[in-house]
Amino acid sequence: MSSTGVIRVARPRRGGLAWLVRFQSLLGLILAIIAGMVFSPRRHGHILFIAPDNIANIIRSVSETGILALGMTFVIIAAGIDLSVGAVLGLCSVMTATLLVNEGWGLVTTLPLVIVTGTLFGAAQGGLSTWFRIQAFIVTLAGLQVARGLSLIASNNAFININYGQGPGNAPPSFAILGERVGGVFPVATLVFLALAVVAALVLTNTRYGRYVFAVGGNERAARLSGIPVDAVKVSVYAVTGFASAIAGIVHAGQFSFGSPNDGTGYELNAIAAVVIGGTDLFGGAGSMIGTIAGAIMLGALANILQLNDVSAAMQLLATGAIIVVAAALQTFVAKRDAASRQTKA
Amino acid sequence: MQQKQYNKELARGRAANDQSAGLQTWAQPKPDAGLMPSVLQMRGVQKRYGGVHALRGVDFDLAAGEVHVLLGENGAGKSTLMGVLSGAVSPDAGELRLDGQPMRFGSPRDAHAAGIAMIPQELDLVPGLDIAANLFLGQEHSVAGVLSHRRMRAQAQELLRRAGVALDAGLAVASLRMGERQLVAIAKALAAQARILIMDEPTAALSAVEADHLFAVVRELRGRGVGIVYISHRLEEVPRIADRVTVMRDGVVVGQAAADAPQGELVRMLVGRPFSDLFPPRAVAPGAPVLTLRHAAFAPDVPRSGWQAPVDVSLTVRAGEIVGLTGLMGVGRTELMSALYGFGVAGHWRGTVEMYGRPVRLDGIRAARGAGIAFVTDDRRGTGLILRHTVARNVVMSTLKRITPYGLVSRKRERAEVLRALDAYDVRPRAPEARMVNLSGGNQQKVVFAKELMSDPRLLLLDEPTRGVDVGAKAEIYRRLRGLTESGLGVLVASSELPELIGLCDRILVMHAGRTIHEFGPNADEAAVREISEGMSLAA
Repeated sequence: MSSTGVIRVARPRRGGLAWLVRFQSLLGLILAIIAGMVFSPRRHGHILFIAPDNIANIIRSVSETGILALGMTFVIIAAGIDLSVGAVLGLCSVMTATLLVNEGWGLVTTLPLVIVTGTLFGAAQGGLSTWFRIQAFIVTLAGLQVARGLSLIASNNAFININYGQGPGNAPPSFAILGERVGGVFPVATLVFLALAVVAALVLTNTRYGRYVFAVGGNERAARLSGIPVDAVKVSVYAVTGFASAIAGIVHAGQFSFGSPNDGTGYELNAIAAVVIGGTDLFGGAGSMIGTIAGAIMLGALANILQLNDVSAAMQLLATGAIIVVAAALQTFVAKRDAASRQTKA
Repeated sequence: MQQKQYNKELARGRAANDQSAGLQTWAQPKPDAGLMPSVLQMRGVQKRYGGVHALRGVDFDLAAGEVHVLLGENGAGKSTLMGVLSGAVSPDAGELRLDGQPMRFGSPRDAHAAGIAMIPQELDLVPGLDIAANLFLGQEHSVAGVLSHRRMRAQAQELLRRAGVALDAGLAVASLRMGERQLVAIAKALAAQARILIMDEPTAALSAVEADHLFAVVRELRGRGVGIVYISHRLEEVPRIADRVTVMRDGVVVGQAAADAPQGELVRMLVGRPFSDLFPPRAVAPGAPVLTLRHAAFAPDVPRSGWQAPVDVSLTVRAGEIVGLTGLMGVGRTELMSALYGFGVAGHWRGTVEMYGRPVRLDGIRAARGAGIAFVTDDRRGTGLILRHTVARNVVMSTLKRITPYGLVSRKRERAEVLRALDAYDVRPRAPEARMVNLSGGNQQKVVFAKELMSDPRLLLLDEPTRGVDVGAKAEIYRRLRGLTESGLGVLVASSELPELIGLCDRILVMHAGRTIHEFGPNADEAAVREISEGMSLAA
């Protein structure tokens, strides 16, 4: 122990740019909101963009990809990837509709079964990838196809409408709550997303499990040497995405009152986009749930601004692409700068 | 003439009489660097990084056909100085002359074009490509845009031959050992027609024989007029390789010495304290056995080529004892430790494997940790640490359960544990939130130790514990290891630095081909240990 007598905790120097990356998605969200307010159409002097209705709409529109992105954050921090989430969402929405409408099951049996199915589907992919050492990209690409196939089988390749009421062919009316709004403002789907977001953020930063996920993604071999159950963690993160996909599938079925085997196509990419914009590193080991949440909402806000201004869907896609590139470039730039300043240390 | 003969002998792998032959060689007159024209002159080189004055006006010369050893602790500025020379760092002030012509390198490419090649410690080889492709990376031979593999292969083979490497140029770099890769990196510099070669701790990962081989190659290059800057932490190498030595500390040159300067003198220059202080006194009496192996063998579930499984190992590590493992590269030191810890290899032990006098099943990391074993590998970047995470995250990594009651992180406990560890191991800066990458090698290694010892193990396995660590930090590690053994820890340490084992250990075991073949007591004679370990390999 040094005998200086004064206990001093040195503070690391953190460059302004590192800070920028850390909070890039929040910053992006703020910028998006400012842009929304500036470019928003006005009615009777009110800015439409920040009308409570519109805000609620934005968050509702991102609730499904948002839920997927929450799970995706775990997988990506653990240095994995899950391409199957959109397809599993589709499968779970179809399952929900089929069981409720065609099979006449109640919510109490249907929902847990759907959730367990999604979770196991994810865990199976994680197991294949971990124990048979197949790249997660490949396994979940295959999983995407399998989930799509299963949902086509489960639905007989048909669109299943959910009618509410009593008796056969109807779903319990209480299921309709997912399409409603609390207090006439907050969509229930939004609340589900936000509640899960809080839980996910807490799990990631405040639990032993969260630390395991970071360690496995940061350096798998070092984590293994330190006695961390690496394989179990790797399997579990895919169970988490499976779980998230199942919840998103149920929300999807409830919001739109139908199950369709082709729904959720491409959602995995939106989820990954939200995670990346949120500052999570695709190589694993670094990232934040708050970033993901802000990233998801920002993408929704951006789409909303463009819609309010009657900008075409094509332009929306271009804008999204540009933002992903900017977010990724910013990270790489700062990482390089870090590396450069590190070299000079020795 | 005699020197050339000697080199040839070495290159053929007949290095048995290294000691006597080496002395004889060095008794010959050496080219006098002072009289040779300096091919390189650096004058008054300064570099500042923010508040850090990394170089405060450094002068450095290099003659053609000279090996100039640059010594310095981490942070002394030698890497920055070599960065300036190799074009990676642009100096704030000072000049650099090559053949008397002032030069200014904007990038490593410029320096490369001027015939300056750097072999970094983390070799810049592409593991997935074969040797030939690596040697000609970026300057491939082609005919009308089509690579002429045969020509490159043939030339690569010739370059390898000149570097004294008996390897097929078609081998993938990934399949080579560290020592072989180092030689390939040198051959690569030769391919680039380098006339100034900067070698950053080239022997850090090499066994004694491989190091001898490397020295032979270095001498050969010197004979051909290549100027070599040789960065090293290993003082014992200086008399064997250097023509002159420059010692740096805190961004200035603190002294120059001749190659035959006593080690003690160099240590004093480096750290400002005497050599004998490096090794702490040995503990009094060892306690009860912690680990006992009697004719133990390890059978991996999946046999791997190049992995020397323990075949017949008998050893005892008692509480309070430091036991060393020596032997050439590839005799199974690292494998023995990996097998005990269950790292990277699945399999089972046969023969007697006991801990605390009772038989124990060591069939995986969890079993090993449960039995009170901790392991510090030889690769702190690859397996010891999560470099991008903070110091705090790394320190608590192996003991997360202690700071997460009910699975929830207790920040208070975490902070207390981390600060306790940083104080106990004197990690600098004392900054839990500092990123691991921003710490010096020595401090990174202290964090690895802190992390592993947080779990209060009874047996510590150490593989090359001071690789890439400077003299001051080494002494610190030795002192702390002794301190730990005094509280009852048993330590099994493998090292390719024999003087380190001799100074540190209570007993030294010599391994060969997966067997323990000989045991030495404290203060063993270095020559005797070398004779046993190298004699076996020649006999085999």
